[in-house]
Amino acid sequence: MDLAVQINDLVKVYDGKVRALDGVNLTVETGKSFALLGPNGAGKTTLMRILTTQIKPTSGEAHVFGLNVVHEGSKVRELISYIPQEMSVWTDISGYENLLVYAKIFDIPHHEREKLIHEALENMGLIGVKDDLVRTYSGGMIRRLEIACAMLIKPRIMFLDEPTIGLDPAARKAVWERLNVFKKDYEVTIFFNTHYMDEADLYADEIAIISQGKIVARGTSEGLKHSLGGELITFTVEKIPINAENLGEIRKLHFVKDISIEDTSISILVHNAEDSLPYIMDVLRNERMPVSKVSISKPTLDDVFLKYAGMRFEEKGRISDVVHTRRMIRRG
Amino acid sequence: MLKALKNMLVMIELEMRRLWHDRTEIYSRAIQPILWMTIYGPVMGSARAIPTGGVPYTDFITPGVMIQTTTFVSILYGLTMVWERDSGILKKLLVTPAPRYSVVVGRSMASGVRAIFQALIILPIAFAIGVRFVPNPTYFLLALIVIFFASGGFAATSILIASFMKTRERFMGIGQAITMPLFFASNALYPLQMMPSILREFSAYNPLSYVVDAVRGLLITGNLSSLLIDLVAIAIFNITMFTLASVSLRRIIE
Repeated sequence: MDLAVQINDLVKVYDGKVRALDGVNLTVETGKSFALLGPNGAGKTTLMRILTTQIKPTSGEAHVFGLNVVHEGSKVRELISYIPQEMSVWTDISGYENLLVYAKIFDIPHHEREKLIHEALENMGLIGVKDDLVRTYSGGMIRRLEIACAMLIKPRIMFLDEPTIGLDPAARKAVWERLNVFKKDYEVTIFFNTHYMDEADLYADEIAIISQGKIVARGTSEGLKHSLGGELITFTVEKIPINAENLGEIRKLHFVKDISIEDTSISILVHNAEDSLPYIMDVLRNERMPVSKVSISKPTLDDVFLKYAGMRFEEKGRISDVVHTRRMIRRG
Repeated sequence: MLKALKNMLVMIELEMRRLWHDRTEIYSRAIQPILWMTIYGPVMGSARAIPTGGVPYTDFITPGVMIQTTTFVSILYGLTMVWERDSGILKKLLVTPAPRYSVVVGRSMASGVRAIFQALIILPIAFAIGVRFVPNPTYFLLALIVIFFASGGFAATSILIASFMKTRERFMGIGQAITMPLFFASNALYPLQMMPSILREFSAYNPLSYVVDAVRGLLITGNLSSLLIDLVAIAIFNITMFTLASVSLRRIIE
């Protein structure tokens, strides 16, 4: 398999003291959507800035499509598109003019230019406002314009740093729908940073969790969650005392990993709650234990983060996130 | 190389597009030089204390106050780069195949475009209040080209400063603190011979003096005896600043 990104023992130390990246090893396959998930300050942006040839690592190596990001920077820059976390379009000219300027910077031949710009505007749903000043756009429209800029050159890999920060849920959804169409049509690899767990969950084929400059876990969303042990089904049984002997039948089911009882509720740990639930219900019914309530709790990426990074994601992220989001809104 | 040149042209085009959408800055910046020409010029001129080599005092200072304005515009242009660093524009530009120096030189020369338009607003007004120009279109064109290139050098200077400042507030202060001394320690308002010798020494290293001298020769006096020296000085200044700014651009993004 051709690797889009390959990172070996990457270390970045700022000013000789801040260890932003502390030995990162990572590979990303071509054509995948890959999320680097972590709280603010975990090293996501630093890693992306090294991969996009903006800054040099202190030690270690990184390759993008086999090209060394330090020694072959100019070749790397021809293959990639990058959307920084902050707004990256000129607000005092129109959306169309932004694309035109970038098309010229990327040296897109004159006869293809208009067609490509039109295509990009159309794909991003910006045709209607193409001649308006970007200053009048909403946050979501600005993000879509940035993606349109990134699409112009049909890159082999797109680096997106917090692509939906500061956007409302509807705008986030719209941005991702467009990105996915683009990914499918052009088989472009998407490498994105995010601190929104649901975003990684929904839109990434693969996730790596980064904490304090280290990759602490990686896998698919499902895989990571299952690595926590399984899903929990809790039954509340009506009024009668629970007889532990009655549960023997349940214990015999091969997919049941563990059972615990508390007052009138039974908690059962299984690999897959949806698949297991009907069988357990059958057993309970046979044992004449009337169930009044069932609840399923699945591990979230937050739980995954807690396990691998040793802390709650939200606690660390929250305040700086609020500050940052406000700053973005003020700017946008 | 050709590609770099093309990129510089794109930067200039970008600036013209921005200018087209919002021209208020050009108009409002014309107010200050007009005040110099209409109030300070006649008042000081009537004192007849300053040897101007035979031209009316207002005519004498017209190139100086005009170039002060265009220089200030260029110096503030570094501010745009700081702003673009705060936003993601600069980061994105640096991840394009465009060579870094073409970004610096291109953006700098783009400020020259602003300077030319600024001059084109001020000059007719000067003409209207009675400043007499050398009636030679070639000289006029050459003067605009001098202003264009010199502004590029000053903009590169401001990019260099911006790479050390990193916040807008600090930069604003520095911008003022640089342009005014450059202005007063130049031949913009009085000939160099009138200055105390220390200041005259300093003025020999003041790029603004060479620009003013060149433009004054071309527009007002018609005396081009020192034009070549002026042009060489401006070229050295530009190349030095382009190089330093390109090298220090890394500091802006890190």
